[in-house]
Amino acid sequence: MAERSLRDIQEALQRHLTNGDEQVRELIVGTPRFPIETRLGIYSDAYRLRLIEALSDAYPAVHTLLGDEGFAALGAAYLEAHPSSYRSIRWFGDQLAHFLAERPPWRDTPLLAEMADFEWALRGAFDAPDARPLERETLRRIPPERWAGLRLRFAPSLQALRHHHWNTVALWRAIEAESDPIPPQALPEVETWAIWRSADQRTRYRSLPVDEAWALGQMREGVDFSSVCAGLVEWIDEAHIPARAAGFLHQWLEDELIADIDSVA
Amino acid sequence: MSRYPSLGYGLGLRKEHYHEILDTDPAIDWFEILSENYLVPGGKPRYFLARIAERYPLVMHGVSLSIGSTDPLDQDYLKQLKALADEIEPRWISDHLCWTGINGLNLHDLLPLPYTEEAIAHVVERVMRVQDYLGRRILLENVSSYISYADSQLTEWEFLNAISERADCLILLDINNIHVSALNHDFDPRAYLEGIAGERVQQFHLAGHSDFGDYAIDTHDAGIIPSVWSLYEQAVERYGNVSTMIERDDNIPPLADLLAELEQARRIAGDRIHPEAANG
Repeated sequence: MAERSLRDIQEALQRHLTNGDEQVRELIVGTPRFPIETRLGIYSDAYRLRLIEALSDAYPAVHTLLGDEGFAALGAAYLEAHPSSYRSIRWFGDQLAHFLAERPPWRDTPLLAEMADFEWALRGAFDAPDARPLERETLRRIPPERWAGLRLRFAPSLQALRHHHWNTVALWRAIEAESDPIPPQALPEVETWAIWRSADQRTRYRSLPVDEAWALGQMREGVDFSSVCAGLVEWIDEAHIPARAAGFLHQWLEDELIADIDSVA
Repeated sequence: MSRYPSLGYGLGLRKEHYHEILDTDPAIDWFEILSENYLVPGGKPRYFLARIAERYPLVMHGVSLSIGSTDPLDQDYLKQLKALADEIEPRWISDHLCWTGINGLNLHDLLPLPYTEEAIAHVVERVMRVQDYLGRRILLENVSSYISYADSQLTEWEFLNAISERADCLILLDINNIHVSALNHDFDPRAYLEGIAGERVQQFHLAGHSDFGDYAIDTHDAGIIPSVWSLYEQAVERYGNVSTMIERDDNIPPLADLLAELEQARRIAGDRIHPEAANG
């Protein structure tokens, strides 16, 4: 029998597990009681089941929407397209929303990609770096003349704002609560969602009015307070802007969205 | 050649039990954590880990070292492992004598190696580099396996012994995995116990599995069966004061059920297994 290198053996078994290549059969021995097919089948089944289960852990609502069979089919297709290269199985699944948006037949149901994206954001908030929320008092101590140059640093758990075209969050809530299914519906207007984690380790999410969504997006990118206030004129009378902007800050403090003051000019 | 001091009887730390552990301070000597579950930036996993680390000795158990892979060692993973170790100060760090993927992929399974001189030399060199980097000796665990390679020239225990001796690492003996592999590969599990160099055995794992008659699968999702208990009894007789823990990975029962199993281990091993002073 020809000597095979360790590399050859690993290549053959990995090819078998990822694409069913049969060459590995020559490298292993079976018994009548426990034949080669059964032996290899244990590894092939375990590989698929373990990764599809990890995907289901990350995407329970997508799983519910598709049902067991549908989700298994999605998982198998995803695994083939995006085998894991991560040390931790937690990250396997990072491309699922993109995969659902591009790949037939799933792309014909755009709600699925939106749901996957929402669930991935929840997961991102769940184990993002910790940060102590900013105390109200710290903001209060800023002298009025310096407010214009205020820039904020947000909680690292705050995910990129999500723009939804479907009643994804309502569906997610119904699935989470195991209440009666509600029908998927296109929204009359795009909804913007903030997703983050508060100091008590709870994952939070809230839909934002259009002006607040814009202001939060701007400040998150490092834009200063006075520029954000100036921009709000698109939605609000100038006279009402200071109160409205102060209201946002108040709400963000309540939500524990602000981690720190980045600078005051 | 010395071992780390024994920790006594422990359990695998699982998220289902976080609150109960912190609320009730159960009489468990130590916990084993799955390292990968805590290689995240923050949030609940790290929050609970920090609190439990204040009260109990911990050891780190990994599944991604892939010590037998012919891909290069994953330096980034080692760096993360070391950072976690610096933070929680585990009594020791373990992983499996296996490979988990090549060409940059991770199959997330503990795949067996052929028992050859080539594999021994390959693994020994990597263990020594990992130990140098982590600044401590690691433990390697025997895995359950379902295939035997035609090229294997040694028994599994000869293979494990040779690696632990040449690399000067320690052994985590999974009693359940010995039972499962013995059934799958037709060897006598007692020969395995007899064959392993006793002075290198630092820790035992106990777990349940699924028996399909002609073969068994290591599922770690059920209680420990009588023949694994009896193998454990023989292991304790042979190796003495070796830290023992119950590893349940799936179908996680209430903590009380695992404590009852741990009690059974205590009944079997008695005071032959006990925590030792850290400098003892």
